[in-house]
Amino acid sequence: MPDTEWPRYEVFKQDRPGRPHEAVGTIHAPDPEMALLNARDVFVRRPECYNLWVVPQDQVLTMTRMEMELNPNWADEAIPEDAPMRTFYVFTRQHHRRSMVAATHVGEIQARHHREALRKALESGRFTDKPVYLWMIVPADAVTSSGEEDVEPMFAPAQDKRYRDQSYYGGLIFDKNALKRREREMG
Amino acid sequence: MTTATTPTTTTTLDTELLQALVDRLLAMADDEVILGHRDAEWTGHAPILEEDIAMANLAQDEIGHALIWYQLIEDLTGQDPDQMVYFRDAPAYRNVQMVELPKGDWAFTMLRQYLFDLYERLLLDRLLTSAYRPLADAAAKIRREEIYHYRHTSTWVERLALGTDESHRRMQAALDRLWPFAAQLFVPLSGDAALLAAGFFPAMDELRAAWQEAVHSFLTNMNLTLPQTRPVTAERDQHTHWLPILLGEMQMVARIEPDAAW
Amino acid sequence: MSTFPSTPTTRPLPNVGLPTDPDYEQRLAEFEARIEDGEKIEPGDWMPYEYWRQLVRMISQHAHSEVVGMLPEGAWIPRSPSLRRKLILIAKVQDEAGHGQYLYHAAESLGVDRDTLIHQLLEGKAKYSSVFNYPTLTWADVAMIGWLVDGAAIKNQTMLAHCSYGPYSRAMVRICAEETFHYKQGKEAVTLYAQGTPRQRRWAQDALNRWWWPALMMFGPHDKDSPNSPALMRWKIKTKSNDTLRQEFVNEIVPELLAVGLQIPDPELRYDEETGNWHIGPIDWDEFWQVLQGNGLMNKARMEARRRAHEEGLWVREAAEAYARRRMARSGPEKMAA
Repeated sequence: MPDTEWPRYEVFKQDRPGRPHEAVGTIHAPDPEMALLNARDVFVRRPECYNLWVVPQDQVLTMTRMEMELNPNWADEAIPEDAPMRTFYVFTRQHHRRSMVAATHVGEIQARHHREALRKALESGRFTDKPVYLWMIVPADAVTSSGEEDVEPMFAPAQDKRYRDQSYYGGLIFDKNALKRREREMG
Repeated sequence: MTTATTPTTTTTLDTELLQALVDRLLAMADDEVILGHRDAEWTGHAPILEEDIAMANLAQDEIGHALIWYQLIEDLTGQDPDQMVYFRDAPAYRNVQMVELPKGDWAFTMLRQYLFDLYERLLLDRLLTSAYRPLADAAAKIRREEIYHYRHTSTWVERLALGTDESHRRMQAALDRLWPFAAQLFVPLSGDAALLAAGFFPAMDELRAAWQEAVHSFLTNMNLTLPQTRPVTAERDQHTHWLPILLGEMQMVARIEPDAAW
Repeated sequence: MSTFPSTPTTRPLPNVGLPTDPDYEQRLAEFEARIEDGEKIEPGDWMPYEYWRQLVRMISQHAHSEVVGMLPEGAWIPRSPSLRRKLILIAKVQDEAGHGQYLYHAAESLGVDRDTLIHQLLEGKAKYSSVFNYPTLTWADVAMIGWLVDGAAIKNQTMLAHCSYGPYSRAMVRICAEETFHYKQGKEAVTLYAQGTPRQRRWAQDALNRWWWPALMMFGPHDKDSPNSPALMRWKIKTKSNDTLRQEFVNEIVPELLAVGLQIPDPELRYDEETGNWHIGPIDWDEFWQVLQGNGLMNKARMEARRRAHEEGLWVREAAEAYARRRMARSGPEKMAA
């Protein structure tokens, strides 16, 4: 009997209003609604979060600088003549520092398909003030987003579970004298 | 219910009202602590890794809610929450039988949680305007997590009811088993009239009607049949044989060293 | 028990270099220069097959360990002796599931799907940390695991956060941020029990007696017996040797354990004034290999529990997918893939 772990969704998290969304990982889910719930349970166990996006993984184009060098024809692809122009979100990583985030939302571009969007993003010069090592191209119409009304029920409760935070555990003092006293009392 | 203009403190509560309030708080606390215990049994055994994580969240929320209600009792009577949870025997517990039943399969757990989540959401909506301020404040805090629980469990009930033939069959079997027990959620306590008069707690009749209307339309839309079996109308001090088994495991470490700090 | 061949005949991902490729040596030199420069290697970049294979092995074993690791502590959730401890333990085990999730994601970035990895585990074809093949016999075991086992894991994970492979490094950074609470809550609890009732103190000492050596074995075989290590070090997958990490761990934790009145179950343990190192006695590597091979006390039970959960969950996973397929069929054709 064939088994399934469900399809994957890329997860993008916005920590606070006005901050850019960041690619934090993926979750497995059967559909977009469950993807949003699973993304919250996996990635928002601790503060902060204001908004979550989930996108089917096969709808996200991820490309590294090296990949583009190794395959110079990466932008070639057949796009149907009547394909409409769509908005694509652009995410980049421009450093090699240790981080829990794969890429950060830097803007958007209009194109008919992912590779065209990436090519136009490169050509525009808008995103390459510093070298970009990793690109993620996300079609806006493939995004399922949490709403304003979700902030209270979905994201705020993480703040209450302080016992999940390491700073909640003060150093417990081992009191040898107290132990000796108790041992004496117990005989 | 009218909202009090000044917060009601314990010194202004008469004995009868105080007891009625403690009885209702205990019912809510015990429901949550037992349900949270059952939810946590899925940790490491859920159908997929993401649901291990989700059920652990549900369990933490329920136990957290129980702690809030026990703490309100502590404020009124001085009883310590851990003492109440770990050193009472089964006959002294005031949870409904539905939450003490074994976790069953995924359909059973999700449906039980859904039926309870809906009841709790409707109850909390009404408690927001309780004249007993601590209760209203607690309800506001708990309610936001319950909105999320309801979303999670109603989403699952729908997917299982309308998934495969097997999942539908299991969901119907769960409904057949759980439906009579759900009625016990609305059995009145002896002090309810006093609580209603004081504006502390809503009327169970109205709550049941709201719950039934919501459940009826939700479940029948998924080709599920509501059973015609006789509802459980026992009082909350009547339990199934499952509760002492559950408490036996839950309380064993605490009871082995009653004076220890953990 | 290797799940991927050491001499490949096919390319697992487009830019993975096989030793038989004509440009292999040149690409390898460029790759190693990138790593020397501190660059992160991402999926899609050129990487030698052996790098790919070592990462798939390491990351999937790490992921399996987190998931199996839910069981020894999860067993005690129902018996937690206070509401606060219950919340803490559920949160800790939840984190372990979450860490497994992040790690499977990192393994999946190498082109292996999670379904395959899980089946390798359940069919006994994959390894996981043998520390989880020991039973938890008292409530104090739970506390001791937090202090010792998670303490050891933190040392390893802090090092791995620097690793050259982007997705693994990112998973480690996220895990490190969450793991410290596991260690601190364990240390807090053991400290309390070590000065508690006579029974609590007995439990704490007994737990240390049983978990000390398994925790030390978590750092892996001695460097001289570690065949994978040289490649892992050269490519900055590991940056510190097994013995180095183990010694660091021992030096940090021995004084803390002694300070709370516990005795280390090692008659040869001694402090070396000159080096500042605590020297431990010989590790029983026979036991290590036995447990790793599957003959530990709990190996069978752990696998049976995971198998049962997975099999009993099949109808659930299928139902959710069936519902999704039906919904999508109603809402129209899927969009073109990226």
